[in-house]
Amino acid sequence: MSTLDVDYMLGLVPVLLGYLPLTLQLASIGMLLALILACLFAVVRVLKIPVLNQFTIVFISFFRGTPLLVQLFLFYYGLPQLFSALTVIDGITATIMGLTMHFAAYMAESIRAAIVGVDRSQTEAALSIGMTNGQLMRRIILPQATRVALPTLMNYFIDMIKATSLAFTLGVTELMGATQKEASGSFLYFEAFIVAAVMYWIVVEILSWLQGNLETRLNKAYSR
Amino acid sequence: MKTLLATVLVLLSLVSAPLFAEETKLRVGMSGQYFPFTFVEQDTLKGFEVDVMDAIAEEMGREVEYRTAAFSGLFGMLGSGRIDTVANQITITEEREKAYLFSKPYVYDGAQVVTKQGNDTINGVEDLKGKTVAVNLGSNFEALLRELPYADEINIKTYDSNIERDTALGRVDAFVMDRVSASQIIREKPLPLQLAGPTFSSIANAYPFPNTDEGRALRDEVNAALSTLRQNGTLKAISEKWFGTDITAP
Repeated sequence: MSTLDVDYMLGLVPVLLGYLPLTLQLASIGMLLALILACLFAVVRVLKIPVLNQFTIVFISFFRGTPLLVQLFLFYYGLPQLFSALTVIDGITATIMGLTMHFAAYMAESIRAAIVGVDRSQTEAALSIGMTNGQLMRRIILPQATRVALPTLMNYFIDMIKATSLAFTLGVTELMGATQKEASGSFLYFEAFIVAAVMYWIVVEILSWLQGNLETRLNKAYSR
Repeated sequence: MKTLLATVLVLLSLVSAPLFAEETKLRVGMSGQYFPFTFVEQDTLKGFEVDVMDAIAEEMGREVEYRTAAFSGLFGMLGSGRIDTVANQITITEEREKAYLFSKPYVYDGAQVVTKQGNDTINGVEDLKGKTVAVNLGSNFEALLRELPYADEINIKTYDSNIERDTALGRVDAFVMDRVSASQIIREKPLPLQLAGPTFSSIANAYPFPNTDEGRALRDEVNAALSTLRQNGTLKAISEKWFGTDITAP
């Protein structure tokens, strides 16, 4: 067994850290957009709005039913072939588009489940005292649904952070791309990838800690 | 539906707005993962390809912008007009010539079988029968292997990267790469590998350009620059710096 090149690993840390912001940026923008899209989808699905409901069902079916990498290639390499104007979609945009639609499809279903999971008697009670549909959603359903949906949504965010590692196939040098290039120059694969792995891990650990805090806060009303 | 469409369009324009800025630099795609042609050390892109392209651009009086992407994505970027050419030891093949315009070759080389050190069962391409052989996805070496009369008996495994690593680990029996970079890897890197036998196919590498009027014009400019660099010895000097030998002449 050969020894670990610790100096090389230490030298790599600042280099790779420089690519972490892009990774986080891809994931945070993707998450924000996916969350908005997923909420729209969930509401459409719960209220069964005609046409939109069918569209959403097909959309979710496609983006859950195909691999993210296939979707990324479709957006980045496929679309410009059909419409040359779409070459303006750069790698970062295509990555964010792919992450947004892919994860929105998953998240829509867990948000829908959280909304449907709020007991029906509460809806009846709210409507019987004269609340409008909007008030019902805002005051009764969403606060409870948020609490239920939070852990799974955080799960998707964590998954999304790691999914950004596919962006290098679209020419976006994020944390994984930078690591791959450094490793192919030095051939010190273990050293390079363990540094990258620890970085992803630390980020995810920080997020898990935030999730714990958030859950405690949302659960306050339920603790005795 | 409308809201959704509008949202998507707004998002699109938001994120891609900076791209409408004017582009005059020569956009060159490379993998950044092909030692010693293109690789990264401490965040700096280096290699034979970088030096040659820098020299060509200087000759043409243009600035270069390197765009790195996984090798499997490079031709997609070229096809969708995101880069002007690829500098990644692209071998001229019949199929590629149908789709792209090629510059004059600037590297001449051969395909080389490489095995784990101490493996004396493989001494050339004919010994690959019944063996598992790694090649890079999208590389020309896969096609070369499939052209062999006994191709059916070879278990060809395509990788996106790291074929030399998996060979050293013994996960595959051999990999096929160009002789120049294979010998370089063996000389400089801590992997237990050896060249197995002579090269089996001669290859010429050049820059591919889109088959358009602009592509043709650019190709002609690059050809002119290449001729100058060949005559004044720059190509040879760059080659000797990286390989200790001249790989730019046939």
